[in-house]
Amino acid sequence: MTPAAPQAAAAAAMRIECRGVGHRYSAGRGLDPVSFTLTGPGLAAVTGPNGSGKSTLLRILAGLLRPVAGDSVVSVSGREVPAPERRHVTGWLAPELQFYGEFTVRENLDFAAEARGLAHGREAVLNAARAVGLSERLGDRAAALSSGLRQRLRLAFAILGDPPVLLFDEPGSHLDEAARERLAAFIQERRTSARVLVATNDSREWSLADERITLGTRDLGDPS
Amino acid sequence: MILRGILLLWIAAGIILAFTWAPLVPVLQETTRVLYFHIPSAWVTVLALGWSMVASVLYLYRRRLEYDDHAGTAAELGLLFCIGATVSGSLWAKAMWGSYWNWDPRETSIFFLLLVYVAYLALRGAIDEPRRRARLAAIYSVAAFVAVPFLMFVVPRLYDTLHPDPIINPRGKVDMDNRIRMVFTGMLLGFTGLFYWMLNLRVRVLRIERRREDQGRPMEVAGA
Amino acid sequence: MSASRSARAIWAILRKECRSEWRTRYGLNAALLFALTSLTAVSFAAGRLGDRSDLLAAFLWIVLLFASLASLSHTFVREVEGQTLPMLRRVASPTEIVAGKLLFNLLFLVVIELLTIPLFLLLMAAPAPQWGAFLGVLGLGSLALALASTLIGALIAQTRGRGALFAGVSFPLLLPVLAAAVNGTRAQWQNLPVASELRLLAAYGAALLAVSVLLVDHLWEE
Repeated sequence: MTPAAPQAAAAAAMRIECRGVGHRYSAGRGLDPVSFTLTGPGLAAVTGPNGSGKSTLLRILAGLLRPVAGDSVVSVSGREVPAPERRHVTGWLAPELQFYGEFTVRENLDFAAEARGLAHGREAVLNAARAVGLSERLGDRAAALSSGLRQRLRLAFAILGDPPVLLFDEPGSHLDEAARERLAAFIQERRTSARVLVATNDSREWSLADERITLGTRDLGDPS
Repeated sequence: MILRGILLLWIAAGIILAFTWAPLVPVLQETTRVLYFHIPSAWVTVLALGWSMVASVLYLYRRRLEYDDHAGTAAELGLLFCIGATVSGSLWAKAMWGSYWNWDPRETSIFFLLLVYVAYLALRGAIDEPRRRARLAAIYSVAAFVAVPFLMFVVPRLYDTLHPDPIINPRGKVDMDNRIRMVFTGMLLGFTGLFYWMLNLRVRVLRIERRREDQGRPMEVAGA
Repeated sequence: MSASRSARAIWAILRKECRSEWRTRYGLNAALLFALTSLTAVSFAAGRLGDRSDLLAAFLWIVLLFASLASLSHTFVREVEGQTLPMLRRVASPTEIVAGKLLFNLLFLVVIELLTIPLFLLLMAAPAPQWGAFLGVLGLGSLALALASTLIGALIAQTRGRGALFAGVSFPLLLPVLAAAVNGTRAQWQNLPVASELRLLAAYGAALLAVSVLLVDHLWEE
């Protein structure tokens, strides 16, 4: 096997594709049909004005939202992953992610690891916490976290178990400079082996992307 | 246009004949007349329920909102006819046995159908977003479909029956005078036609309303 | 998706519900209070009904019905109010989620019954039940109540409606349970066989379960 082949194989084995994927909430708001293909690991950015459907697109790819039009395909290790099973291969981070306030950070993450059936749950939780700098905060109740720490918890939740596809919706919000730098370093490190998709309007976040998907020029309103 | 006219004349003829030409059943005397309105109403109640449930299942499969229009409209009409059947039945009971309501099996059954209709429409009324409403209402519809036979079979075991069986027994054999049978069948068809006509009308209105809301940017895709 | 992985997910969710309930405890307290209040009202209004097995059976199941209506939707309402549904949907499938919450609701109902029923039997001066038949009807009836309530709870949590809507919408589904359970409970006090009521409850429970399994995947698609 020549050195180029394994990389090509890895590239072919991981794919995100959208064919005319669109969604409509009531009153004409949503996501206009969009098509694109992303193969292999890397960093791609989804940009567009407020209400253009960035969050909607990520929800569809994460398997949370069933689109009104089009198909989305997420393929990992050569195998297509249908929407109901995407939680096993994708990590999703979004502002609407909330945790159980009466549980500690560790309990929330432990629960997530256990329910998802991660092989080495305890370890995965510690790794994720360490990666986002929450190791000292594992015993804190989730309700008591500041917005910045809560964002880090969202990130830890998304990267739990090192999923091969990461879907980040506004990952840098509420983060201070140090945390942002840590996030950027993390993404830089992961983009060589995982497919990272970041939805954002922050140029600091999309400027380093290999590919950029720009959504809608019409203002369709904020779906949330 | 012509069909509407025919329907109108048909029902008018039915009403007139019911009061003039059709003979009386000995044991029922004048209350025989109720037969031509009460039973067709009950029939349409059941028909509407079935139609609504089938439309619900079709929506879950095909995801065309038009199916949900049918489901919701059929339920609204079903409620109307159910109220008609309940009230006419109650008046008949008063005339025949001296009390408006006795919880006899048939009365109880029609009342339960009323409850199902009201619950279904209440659920629909509590959801604003069309697709969520369609989906959740469809789920309830299927669940109700399971409950309805139990509601119909459990009830007779609890109470004795006062309901007249001599004319129409469970096996469906109609033991009537020819003229009664003719007017009765005619009204049965007439009521069915009425239901179909009103359903059609409302579904068309809903279709037009939705087209206007989509503002010419429809995104319905068959299947999915 | 393997069965054992699902089982572990369901178990994890059940434990989460229990722990959540234990930490906040507002659900259980309120439900117990409600059950005791209904019981008090019934006892106060009707008095000792030692010889009226028909009324005893009816009141018993009305109290249980009220307790269910007042509390079994809370597992989903909590998720909606805490906005934790997206997180939950990201760690488990709809079937696992509903199964876990169903088991919790069943456990919850059992706890309420453990406290309410002895009190009921005492306050209403009920004759000693035929325990086998009594518990059989109680068990299958509770299972059916929990099944219907969990499914409807999941629906209502996504609407604007709350407790009253939950009561109204679940009532048609709960009626067959009520009818069969009241009949069965009355029958065992009258030394009559309860086999047909048990069969009915089991059949209805199985039908509800089958329907839930089929429909659960459509509960959350947004």
